[in-house]
Amino acid sequence: MIFRRIVLYALLVGALSGILLTGVQLLQVIPIIQSAERFEGEPAAAPAAEKAGQAAQAHDHAAHDHGGHEHDADAWAPADGAERTGFTLLSNMLSATGLALLVLAAMVASLRLNAANKLDWRHGLLWGVAGYAAFFVAPALGLPPEIPGAAAAPLESRQAWWLFAVVCTAAGLAGAAFGKSPWRWAFLILLVLPHLVGAPHPHTEMFAGQPPAAAAELTELARQFIGATAIANGALWLTLGLISVWTIPRILTPSD
Amino acid sequence: MKNQASTATTMQTATVSTTISKPVQLFSAFLLGMVFLYGAGFVQTSAVHNAAHDVRHSLAFPCH
Repeated sequence: MIFRRIVLYALLVGALSGILLTGVQLLQVIPIIQSAERFEGEPAAAPAAEKAGQAAQAHDHAAHDHGGHEHDADAWAPADGAERTGFTLLSNMLSATGLALLVLAAMVASLRLNAANKLDWRHGLLWGVAGYAAFFVAPALGLPPEIPGAAAAPLESRQAWWLFAVVCTAAGLAGAAFGKSPWRWAFLILLVLPHLVGAPHPHTEMFAGQPPAAAAELTELARQFIGATAIANGALWLTLGLISVWTIPRILTPSD
Repeated sequence: MKNQASTATTMQTATVSTTISKPVQLFSAFLLGMVFLYGAGFVQTSAVHNAAHDVRHSLAFPCH
């Protein structure tokens, strides 16, 4: 049963690329997050009314602007150090497995469409680049990767735009790559669409609640963070694409 | 007896794989992937958010 083999190999691909991603993040992404967190909670703690609202679970994120900070102080969080790293590793493996499921299902579907049964490492690179473009570059162009504490538009609208950007970019690339009509390149218009619509942005400065010196330091951290996440996500998609291609002949056994 | 049981299991597996079409299986795997990503990146329950916090920032998922 091909579903079962896709899931098993997605777990393998997700575990391997999740471990590698965690290693890369520990070198450059996580230190920046921790530096930014030192500034959090210093200027203005979340108003008591907001906390009470969260505790009551009747919290409506869309109804008000958080100014970028909404941690529930009473909620469980992993302790800094090994526990936090452990949950980061677990979340990375979960995310990478989810991405691997999408990629493996799409790879098998593309092979059926083209009546082909082979992918080599160059296809792996191309799939990796396409995944990187759809899941990182396209959403990050509108909503740059943010360090904790940065002001942002309401969460729901950003999640919706993120999803819109990812779906449009993936559909545009897939249409151009696998379409049969001579007009298939027109699918690339979909890549521009989310940016014409425009990502939701806050009306305030990014670090408005901070004193000028801290805001300058945070702005510099935010700049470094974009480079660090660009590298980490590149490493993720490179391994994801290459390992996925390696599993394809194992997923497509002769018995099917 | 044991042999019979394993034959029965094999037959059952064979029946299942012929009754669910390939496109449905591929679509199911795709949906499962979206469920995983939703769990890791989008669920706003505080405990889940805190556990996956650094990953969400790193993968450029909208977080806070």
